Amino acid sequence: MALPKRIMKETERLVADPAPGITAAPHGDNLRYFDVTIQGPDGSPFQQGVFRLELFLPEEYPMSPPKVRFLTKIYHPNIDKLGRICLDILKDKWSPALQIRTVLLSIQALLSAPNPDDPLATDVAKHYKEDEKDAQRVSREWTEKYASN
Amino acid sequence: MTQDQLCDRGLFFAASDDEDDNANATTAQSVRPASPPSSSPYSSHQKRLFFADSDDDDIPRFQTPRPTVIDVSLVGNNDDDSGSDLEIPSFEEVPRASSVSSLSSGPSLRTSSPVPGPSGAEPPVKKRRLSPPKVQAHTEQLEAPFRTAYLGSFIVGNAWSTVRGKGYIKPGDIIRIERDDPDDSRSGLSVPAKGKKKALPGKGKTKQLTLGAMLKSQPPKATKKADTVVLLTNDRGFEFGRLPQHVSSWVSKLLDLGIIDFKGSTVVDCPATLHSGADLIVSLSVYVRASAFKPASISAEEPPKNMFNQEQETQDERTLRERKTTLLSLFEAVNLRPRRESRVQGDRNTEKKSDDTVKQLTQHPGGTKQKKTEIVGDGEEVEVEEGEELSDNELDVIYKKAQQNDLSMAEMDPPDTFTLTLRAYQKQALMWMHSKESGEISAREAVSMHPLWSEYAFPPEPRDGIIDLTEDEKAFYFNPYSGELSLDFPKAERKLKGGILADVGMGKTIMLSALIHTNRDPESILPDDTSRDLARARQLKLDNAFRSIALGQTKKPTKGPSATLIVAPTSLLSQWYDELQRSSAPGTLQATIWHGQNRLDLDSIEDDSNNDAPITVIITSYGVLASEHSKLLKSGGQSSIFQVEWLRVILDEAHHCKSRTSKTARAVYALRARRRWAVTGTPIVNKLEDLHSLLQFLEYTPWSSYSFFRSFITLPFLARDPKAIEIVQVILESILLRREKNMRDHSGKRIVELPAKEVTVDTLQFTSAEQKIYDSIYNAAKRNFDQLNAKGLVGKNYTHILAMLMRLRRAVLHPDLVADTSDESETKPSGHSKDGAIDVDVLMNDISEHDLPSGSKVAYAESVLANLDTSDDAECPICLDVMQVPSIIPTCMHQCCKECIISYLAICTERGEELRCPTCSQGPVKEQDLIEVLRPRPGQGSPYQELTGDEKEETSTSEVFLRRNDFRSSTKLDALVQNLRRLQDQDPYFRAVVFSQFTSFLSLISVALDRERLSWYRFDGSMDIKKRSAAISEFKQNERKPKVLIVSLKAGGVGLNLTSANHVFMMDCWWNAATENQAIDRVHRIGQEKTVYVKHFIIDRTIEGRILQIQKRKTAIVKEAFRGSDKSGKADPESLENLKVIFGDD
Repeated sequence: MALPKRIMKETERLVADPAPGITAAPHGDNLRYFDVTIQGPDGSPFQQGVFRLELFLPEEYPMSPPKVRFLTKIYHPNIDKLGRICLDILKDKWSPALQIRTVLLSIQALLSAPNPDDPLATDVAKHYKEDEKDAQRVSREWTEKYASN
Repeated sequence: MTQDQLCDRGLFFAASDDEDDNANATTAQSVRPASPPSSSPYSSHQKRLFFADSDDDDIPRFQTPRPTVIDVSLVGNNDDDSGSDLEIPSFEEVPRASSVSSLSSGPSLRTSSPVPGPSGAEPPVKKRRLSPPKVQAHTEQLEAPFRTAYLGSFIVGNAWSTVRGKGYIKPGDIIRIERDDPDDSRSGLSVPAKGKKKALPGKGKTKQLTLGAMLKSQPPKATKKADTVVLLTNDRGFEFGRLPQHVSSWVSKLLDLGIIDFKGSTVVDCPATLHSGADLIVSLSVYVRASAFKPASISAEEPPKNMFNQEQETQDERTLRERKTTLLSLFEAVNLRPRRESRVQGDRNTEKKSDDTVKQLTQHPGGTKQKKTEIVGDGEEVEVEEGEELSDNELDVIYKKAQQNDLSMAEMDPPDTFTLTLRAYQKQALMWMHSKESGEISAREAVSMHPLWSEYAFPPEPRDGIIDLTEDEKAFYFNPYSGELSLDFPKAERKLKGGILADVGMGKTIMLSALIHTNRDPESILPDDTSRDLARARQLKLDNAFRSIALGQTKKPTKGPSATLIVAPTSLLSQWYDELQRSSAPGTLQATIWHGQNRLDLDSIEDDSNNDAPITVIITSYGVLASEHSKLLKSGGQSSIFQVEWLRVILDEAHHCKSRTSKTARAVYALRARRRWAVTGTPIVNKLEDLHSLLQFLEYTPWSSYSFFRSFITLPFLARDPKAIEIVQVILESILLRREKNMRDHSGKRIVELPAKEVTVDTLQFTSAEQKIYDSIYNAAKRNFDQLNAKGLVGKNYTHILAMLMRLRRAVLHPDLVADTSDESETKPSGHSKDGAIDVDVLMNDISEHDLPSGSKVAYAESVLANLDTSDDAECPICLDVMQVPSIIPTCMHQCCKECIISYLAICTERGEELRCPTCSQGPVKEQDLIEVLRPRPGQGSPYQELTGDEKEETSTSEVFLRRNDFRSSTKLDALVQNLRRLQDQDPYFRAVVFSQFTSFLSLISVALDRERLSWYRFDGSMDIKKRSAAISEFKQNERKPKVLIVSLKAGGVGLNLTSANHVFMMDCWWNAATENQAIDRVHRIGQEKTVYVKHFIIDRTIEGRILQIQKRKTAIVKEAFRGSDKSGKADPESLENLKVIFGDD
């Protein structure tokens, strides 16, 4: 099926005018599949890290949200071991007015502001709630270990 | 033998008294065969003796046996096909002279003797009826070159005796063949005309007794039962036997008709002593009376009493049939074969065929035929018999012959008063019509023998047993279909003035206008105006009103008719008017549309009686004509249109009166005119009988008689007799002109050059919501159909299934067309205008009411509204493209493409999610609250300005127009709108025609067009004539703006000339492509100068695809049943097949 004009447009813009700290490039054999990197925001435990993600635009996009997953291991209360992300705009708060760019910016923001009250990785969330400092340390370690190349 | 028949007539009557008494007595006794006295072995007798002894029938008489011509091969051969209910036909044409039914009208053929001589004036004898007619019969026969002519003889081997005893007859005796008189059992056999006087010196002094005809005062029909008894009497008038039933069945009719004499018939063999039931062998010699050759006519008009039962044959029709069948039986009996037949192709076994013909013809029409309803005229419904329908192929064959010589026809130029230039083929048509009207030249000569007639030779009459072979054979002609006899060569050409113009899309209107200009001189008044005596008395005044004075004839005070009447479907009246005006030099033609409530009295159209008087043309509709006619039929009713005698009547789209029993058709037949034209592209719509009605209008005798047509064409056709087609071909050859657009002239060029026509089919996909609605309807229908089909009940529930199909076809167009009324729950915003326009001030008020304290919303809204006209390239947040029809969400003033937001809202609804603005997630958002922003297109003024003309609005809202999205569209509607938009981009002043068969859908289309601010004009059957013609003329008017005409396929599919448009959109598909093409031809026709673009919208995987399949089926001809007006509720096999296609699984 032909690629909708909107996806082509978004791709063009992502390439021509990338958001700071974010890259997204479509696969050559599947233009709905993107390789994404997000730099850990400054001031967060994920600073200096470069996190790889995959993003897939389903058939219904933009009426349905893109599917996004961390490929790089990350210690974050809203991201589980499989890289799945707990973010409202990727679920019920999705709107077709959102785009790949806005989704990725939201994820970047999520790294700055973990929300342990709405956890996906419950153990990490518990850790963050009980001892945020120690949890941030673990996050930094993981970033250093997995996200710095 | 009995050539003395010519002279003994005087005698014949002179002494009839005695004779009669004798005969009566005899008959009375012999009703029940008594013990037969021994028959006398003597043969014929002297007349003298006869008179002398007439009271004493026991006295044997001596007589020399008369020679008899016996064709042994014929013995016993004259049976079969004459059933007991054989009926007696009479002739066609002109005054009816011999038909039985004419008795009441006074003198007729029923006279006793074939040739009543001067003595016929003698006072009638008591008990003998029928004397008075003799005088008349006499005069009638004066013209004939002979009184009776020998036709042959035949043997009847199994006549039987009714008496007992000796002395009645002996072999060789002359006998008489007489009819029993059922009405007068007492007098029994009235033997009317016996040449009593017998002055004849000749040796064969036989008195022929033909009489039977006059015996009965009632037509055979009245005393149908057992009324075929034929008595054999001896020369004294005593009945001694009867003919066997199989012979008497038709002999009796011949006698009743009075066209045949049996003179010099003899007994060949009989027992010496008769007893009841004894076998007699008799030889009958047959003479045809001169009166038989007198043409009789079947009046074209049905007798009033039959008005309400047109399916029944009229008395005349029946008489005609009887005569024909009996004559056929007779010819077969005497082994008389046609010498020449006018068969178009060599005809194999003639006898066989005539047998068949007889059988078919003896069937009574009507019967158990399936009836169905068709629409004729202006929506008049009539029941028609389901006849065999014709395929296109067959139609082509039929027309082919008529078209053979068309290319080489001469051309004719119209007079100066006709201002348009005719094309070559139009000049040909003018020539043809002119010659048809003037009757001078026959553009297509036809001098062959009339196809129905056969030539026979009178067989030589044996005299004294010797046949004179040197005698010249004289010919006579017989029409085995009508029973008509003639001594004159029957030519195929008839003398009607007029014909059928069946050109397809060739500018018929113009050609007829040229004809009106060319043949404008009034016809002279016929000295013996026999055309119609009906209403004649009161017509005079009106006739005068219409008589214009011809050039150079000013002295003559009375002129013949000069006005032309045009009858056309209501929708075409104004077009006729316009075309006539356009083609006429100013002041040369005065056309009047005679329609509506204020029809002026035709009487008041004054003729100014000078040479330059304009040609008068009255244009009216079938509907008006029919209602005028019913007015006329009321007792004492008058209708001027039927009282005027027209020079010319033109029926446009003449197939409107194809059913002869419809009110429309009967009204048309009642018109009085010298020249008659039927104009139609389809003279045969789908049955041969369609043609009959046209022929009846044209008064094209004999075909105008229904029984005639039915007998010679319909029934043979149903019996697969190729002759039927041949006859139709010959008819058409002489009266029909048909060319087609794609015909080529002799130099190989197309006779009509039309611009190209590009047809595309847009296959569209349902939206998911529409698909769901459609699927549920389809599945229910299919389940229903499958169940019925499994039980074999489809035929019985046909109407029901058609209703389901109708629903499906509507569902394809727009969900609202199948929605229950309860679906109307969607509340429409109050006070909205018809095009959903919104006042910006009102909108701002709404927003400020709900604004936040900060007022930010108002500020944003204001900026949005302020930028509407400039932000042309604003991007839709959903498709990231430039917004198509930006739609504002009123609560937050965010915008999206209309399509994007609508489909988003639909998906949310489907998922059960709250409807919110995609940009700010505010909700709830209602689809019908969305506000569309319409911007003017390049090259177009503000749409607002154009439609409302409200100057204040115009200035205050800049050029942007807001409207509420309170209209539910559909896939097809959207496709149409998008196409129109695209069209407008290419051609700001485009003209498009949109066809649909559903007027409810037309209404939706008009709303959609309103919302697009496109000027539209509507044309459908529910509109009155004024509105229709206004719509057309406004549409045609030359203005600098785009225009769309939306037309109901049924009302506007034919006749209209819409060449000012060159884009056609077909919103739905019809069951046969021909109807669609005819609609398209409204645009793609003469006068069109641009390429015509046709677009069909088809929704994928729906009933429409199946309909296209059906269209492609070879055998698919128009099935009236699919129109939904079918009342029979029954399906024919073809329709069932089609249904299976529709509900098929492939």
